Amino acid sequence: MVRTKYNWLATVFLIVGAVFILFPMYMTIMVAIKSPFELAQSLLGIPARIFWSNFTQAISITHYGQTFGNSFFITFFAVVLTILTNSMVAYAIARNMHSWIFKGMYYYFFSAMFVPFPIIMLPLVRQMSAIGLADSIGLIILYVVYGLSFNVFVYIGYLRSIPLELEEAAWVDGAGRWTIFWRIIFPLLGPMNATVGILTALWAWNDFLLPLVMLSDPNQYTLPLVQYAFQSQYSTNYNLAFASYLMALLPMVVVYVVFQRWIINGVTKGAIK
Amino acid sequence: MANVSLQHVFKKYPGKESVTAVTDFTLDIEDKEFVVLVGPSGCGKSTTLRMIAGLEEISEGDLFIGPKRMNDVAPKDRDIAMVFQNYALYPHMTVYQNMAFGLKLRHFPKAEIDKRVRDAAQILDITHLLARKPKALSGGQRQRVALGRAIVREPQAFLMDEPLSNLDAKLRVQMRSEISKLHKRLQTTFIYVTHDQTEAMTMGDRIVVMKDGFVQQVATPQEIYNFPVNLFVAGFIGSPSMNFLTGRIEESGNEMRFVAPNVSLSIPAGRFDSIRKAGAVNKPVVLGIRPEHAHDEAIFMETYPGGVFEAAVDVVEHMGSEMYLLMDVGGQALNARIVARSDVKVGDRVKLAIDMSKIHLFDKETELAIM
Repeated sequence: MVRTKYNWLATVFLIVGAVFILFPMYMTIMVAIKSPFELAQSLLGIPARIFWSNFTQAISITHYGQTFGNSFFITFFAVVLTILTNSMVAYAIARNMHSWIFKGMYYYFFSAMFVPFPIIMLPLVRQMSAIGLADSIGLIILYVVYGLSFNVFVYIGYLRSIPLELEEAAWVDGAGRWTIFWRIIFPLLGPMNATVGILTALWAWNDFLLPLVMLSDPNQYTLPLVQYAFQSQYSTNYNLAFASYLMALLPMVVVYVVFQRWIINGVTKGAIK
Repeated sequence: MANVSLQHVFKKYPGKESVTAVTDFTLDIEDKEFVVLVGPSGCGKSTTLRMIAGLEEISEGDLFIGPKRMNDVAPKDRDIAMVFQNYALYPHMTVYQNMAFGLKLRHFPKAEIDKRVRDAAQILDITHLLARKPKALSGGQRQRVALGRAIVREPQAFLMDEPLSNLDAKLRVQMRSEISKLHKRLQTTFIYVTHDQTEAMTMGDRIVVMKDGFVQQVATPQEIYNFPVNLFVAGFIGSPSMNFLTGRIEESGNEMRFVAPNVSLSIPAGRFDSIRKAGAVNKPVVLGIRPEHAHDEAIFMETYPGGVFEAAVDVVEHMGSEMYLLMDVGGQALNARIVARSDVKVGDRVKLAIDMSKIHLFDKETELAIM
């Protein structure tokens, strides 16, 4: 039998890392499912029974249904539009790097990664409200546009690994530029679409600052916003706060589990040679 | 089905150091003909093929497929199919989808697509692979799928860019004959690019030998082998390649001899006129002789007394059915293919007879054949 070699150092690091991540997670769950009385008795202990009223109260206080809907609406469209448009922009740049216009765009987007958001925050809000887009729609547009710099960078790196012959073959087969992108290139961008999708979803779902400055109508508030209000009002009731955090967290865990299966290497395997 | 005609075609890449990849390429390819473009890397053969496909712009000259000028026609409207060196199969599609893709884009009815894909799969013996994705196929199978993708289109011309170069030697020989059979079966114009002279010789109805963007010779395989027009073609076509000995032509009385260090060979009287006409007498020339035209058996010494010389054997290569002797002839290398029963050893001095009717003479300066 072949003995499997363990890299003990790496394993220890991984275990320590996992504990650092799992411990707060454990605490969140424990606090969320305990009654205030049980929490006072023991912070880390497992409760005798799950205290569901934390969740029901949190749902009613945060108007969970509506806020969840708002967050979902913004996140869903931010992700879909980001993937569809940013991949297209990246494709155009990646295949035209010989032209100075596209090369210039590449470096323009690339440099935008280094602009700190707070610097442009206020002018941006003024601009968006001036054109009547200081709402959810405007927020979605900003996520799509602000993702461009990083996403284009990521997409282009991957596009370079897709052999040009595939496009030439499709071209000879009768495809136009549009068909080549949607039928050949876009499906092959799967792993990058998943990466960009996950990052955009996490950003849009958890973002606090942009919704705070952009949204004036309380009916459009997202989960992080209402949690903030909730936190300041009920700061003494940790159980309610953590129950609300837990409910906000679960959709992202689902998104990650679903998308991460797409982040696999070797999607272009078999294309050439 | 159509003939393909290239008239004075140039490919120039502009820039600071502008490069001319193809210079004045003119060729008429008949309908149903199998033409092979052959030459070393960078000779412009693939560029020429890509210009026919429409993947590269034609800088100057005209391209006709059938009666229509195609210079400005998009690849998809040229009615050609191309097989790429690295197959270029769509990795996210099954073999069936790969083959059907071109037909779907052309809005063929579903039943027609299915019939064509299954027919092509049957011809290529890949019916059992139709549901698989390219990554689950071997190199040879991928090559067949790439061919299948071209076949289903029933194009006017097939373009193939070194389609066998990624296969192992055995599979290459097998696929070579299969492509030849396919050509006979499909009765379509084939334009095939390769750097392998064996593929060119075995498959082509006509061969176009290229070097540095220039066409060197266009002829049938036999003609190219027997009558190469210059030193490059002579050395490129044939395996092992032709031997070259540099020397002079000396004329005395009614005899003409090729003289080089340790060699003096009598030239057949039939060649005198052409040598005199070329002004090659008393001038440096290159004598070309193919390895199979040098013999070591006694009977050849009697048959070709004017072509006898001696040389020291440097290397003996046993190939089973035959053997190669690599020899030193007055400082010049010469390779002879002789029968395997010979017991020549390294270091021996052997007597060889050259079939002087098979020699080639080239002008040393212009490198052109003295016909």
